[in-house]
Amino acid sequence: MLKVIESAVPVACWSCAVAHNEATLFCPHCSKIQPPLGGDFFSVFGLKPCLNLDLMGLEHEFHRLSRKLHPDRFARAGENEKQWSLADTALLNDAYRTLKDPIHRTEYLLKLHGAEIGEEHSGKDRQDPSRVPADLLEEVFDLNMQLEEMRAAKKIGEDDPALQASLEQAKTKFDGLLDEVDDELRVQWQAWDTGDAGIRAAAQKSMVALLDRRRYLNNLVRDVTETLGA
Amino acid sequence: MAYSDKVVDHYNNPRNVGTLDKSSQEVGTGLVGAPECGDVMRLQIKVNPETQVIEEAKFKTFGCGSAIASSSLATEWIKGRTVEDALAIKNTDIVKELSLPPVKIHCSVLAEDAIRAAIGDWKKKNGVAEMAAVETAK
Repeated sequence: MLKVIESAVPVACWSCAVAHNEATLFCPHCSKIQPPLGGDFFSVFGLKPCLNLDLMGLEHEFHRLSRKLHPDRFARAGENEKQWSLADTALLNDAYRTLKDPIHRTEYLLKLHGAEIGEEHSGKDRQDPSRVPADLLEEVFDLNMQLEEMRAAKKIGEDDPALQASLEQAKTKFDGLLDEVDDELRVQWQAWDTGDAGIRAAAQKSMVALLDRRRYLNNLVRDVTETLGA
Repeated sequence: MAYSDKVVDHYNNPRNVGTLDKSSQEVGTGLVGAPECGDVMRLQIKVNPETQVIEEAKFKTFGCGSAIASSSLATEWIKGRTVEDALAIKNTDIVKELSLPPVKIHCSVLAEDAIRAAIGDWKKKNGVAEMAAVETAK
């Protein structure tokens, strides 16, 4: 499924035989549903891969296409068309869910371009220090110690206001760091969307590192929130 | 995904959990982390200045079962070894011993990094640049 349609290859519509762009759900000439594209999530919406998306436009297009693909509309259509409408609906839902979320969208686009993201890929790139937030290690370790203390205290029903305050302070700090990462990500989005191949490659590398850092911070904030709320 | 018996054993009965005095001249501290999963591992060694033998090793790891088992095993292995011998331990040895699945290999990498970081810290503290220099000095 992960395939970027770089250039539109004209294909003939199965119904009216007029040639059309491959990346379209419906024939622009006769409006008949076309066989599934085999393209990426962006092409479902007629978009080129990009990171700065008009979310209102995306939602509008999602609803429009959902209506057009609705199985009820194909109740009296041929077997092929029924199958295609179901497959396209599933694809459309997946595509919308992925693209509307900024982080999922970024991860998806990076994977589309060959980046390896996620826990299973860690450790492969040990030479690249940008993947290890060494600046945070001490703080992360101390935070984990405090979390352990807090859990132990809660377990025996004890309150530790000082520890509680310290954890809340840490949470504020890490929330702030998350916001910084998101700001930096948006800068890289812009670079990727508008830059040439070299700038894109650099932006991709930065984004992979930023997403790692984000995941790391997110896990921490989640742990602190859970412990404080428990 | 099921953990191997050895991982479960180390997880339930971690060896050498604890802290050594960070400020001691004989103690080396390694603090490493995996950005992807949020694991952090601290491994400390106490080295005999005469023999270069690691007499004490302690760890504290926040992470998954495999990360805890990897660091627990690492402390077990480096205890009683000389610093140079300890550096010969490879993450693949840990993978083999604990039967870690591919997605958990990074836990063993972290443990190897922690050993190196602890030894590196000890060397820096004690002005040991190259072991070869020590050998010739003997």
